[in-house]
Amino acid sequence: MTQAGPALLLWDAAQIYAAAGGVTALAFLAFGLTRVDPSARGAYGFRPLLLPGLILLWPLVLWRWAVLARGAARPSLGRRYAATHRLIWTVLAVALPLLLLGTLALRQSGPLEAAPVRLGPAP
Amino acid sequence: MSVLYRPVGWTRFKIGYDVVLLGGIALYLLAYMRLGPRLAPVTLPLDGATLAMNAYGTCAFLLVTLALCIGPLARLDNRFLPLLYNRRHLGVMTAVVATAHARAVLGWYFAYSPADPYVAMLGADTGSGHLLGTPFIPFGIFSLLVLWLLAATSHDFWLGFLTPPVWKALHLSLYAAYAALVLHLGLGALQDARGPTLAVLVAASVALVCGLHVAASRRAPAAAPASADWVAVGRLAELPDGRALVVRLPGGAAVAVFRHAGGVSALANLCAHQNGPLGEGRVIDGLLVCPWHGYQYRPDDGCSPPPFTERVATYALRADGENLFVAARPNPPGTRVAPLRPA
Repeated sequence: MTQAGPALLLWDAAQIYAAAGGVTALAFLAFGLTRVDPSARGAYGFRPLLLPGLILLWPLVLWRWAVLARGAARPSLGRRYAATHRLIWTVLAVALPLLLLGTLALRQSGPLEAAPVRLGPAP
Repeated sequence: MSVLYRPVGWTRFKIGYDVVLLGGIALYLLAYMRLGPRLAPVTLPLDGATLAMNAYGTCAFLLVTLALCIGPLARLDNRFLPLLYNRRHLGVMTAVVATAHARAVLGWYFAYSPADPYVAMLGADTGSGHLLGTPFIPFGIFSLLVLWLLAATSHDFWLGFLTPPVWKALHLSLYAAYAALVLHLGLGALQDARGPTLAVLVAASVALVCGLHVAASRRAPAAAPASADWVAVGRLAELPDGRALVVRLPGGAAVAVFRHAGGVSALANLCAHQNGPLGEGRVIDGLLVCPWHGYQYRPDDGCSPPPFTERVATYALRADGENLFVAARPNPPGTRVAPLRPA
């Protein structure tokens, strides 16, 4: 069974998002790139590689374009993410095996399988 | 420093890396296509389309597993660092293989109805209201979107443009994508698996990734207490020549302490170009060289040699007998500190 209504809406929204991303990407490559990043001046070969990211992240691109056009400083990473990594992997080291075991338990031959129910009289 | 962007900064190592990577992917797919039909039950033979989507899908899963293993491996053993620096090529290839899997699925399960294949795919697997039959396609779509996002933002430009904290946060989403991939496989292919091979493969991959990350995080140096003015580096004799030791300071910042020409110097561990790990670089011709893009810094003042203008913070050092200590507070970038010369 398919849910065509919501799926159609989602697909239309994705296409509109991508179209807006395409317009933003072309505008950024034409007018913004060399203003916000001096390393791009005179460099043309890498620009097509930016297109997918510009389309996928166009709201973020517009925000950063506006910020950098005002001459804002570029923050540095400041610290390595050792503590964040440690926390994430402490959680994932427990969660991932549990998720996998959970899906295996759901198998039709697994322990959660419901007893079969006869829907009609025996032939 | 000249940083004109290029599509790919090819080196001999990168070419070799890509050849091995592409060869490995091709071999895996070929072996899967050839051996798959022979291993399938005679009563339930695999059709070509299913075989192809399984081959692409398992290949993408293994590539993500490999990508996730490289980081902790490099932290556990320096010899894996070259794999880390070229990991973006692995990420792009993973996105390509995952896309091939999605294309194969679209071209088989959703290609023969009046509905648009994409609409059919989005609407086909929305759950039955019971645990059994939990949707698995949405987890695959989410993982694919993350892989695309990471591949699309893998060029150097993005780190500077988005800022390192935003770029890093985006790329941490790979962990969520991996969890989604496990669910995609567990709720999808594993529900129908006719033998234990796939379950064992997924379980072993998850165990390997989790085990390596936990082992690497246990080995990471703990930050010094917040009140310390000087932080212990270690014994002078343990400092390798031409290489650095990385020390974590109160607050989490890291310092690269390294020996060169008989002296010892300390610089901030983050390269001024794109926050590369200076402590994983080498001293070449009297300059500390960032392993990511080759930016160079003078050990005594943290400045790039003229005409370049990049600068990183320097740190004071002191020796107490055989033990070496670094100041907890940085000097302003470019401040000259005479190299410590142990007696």
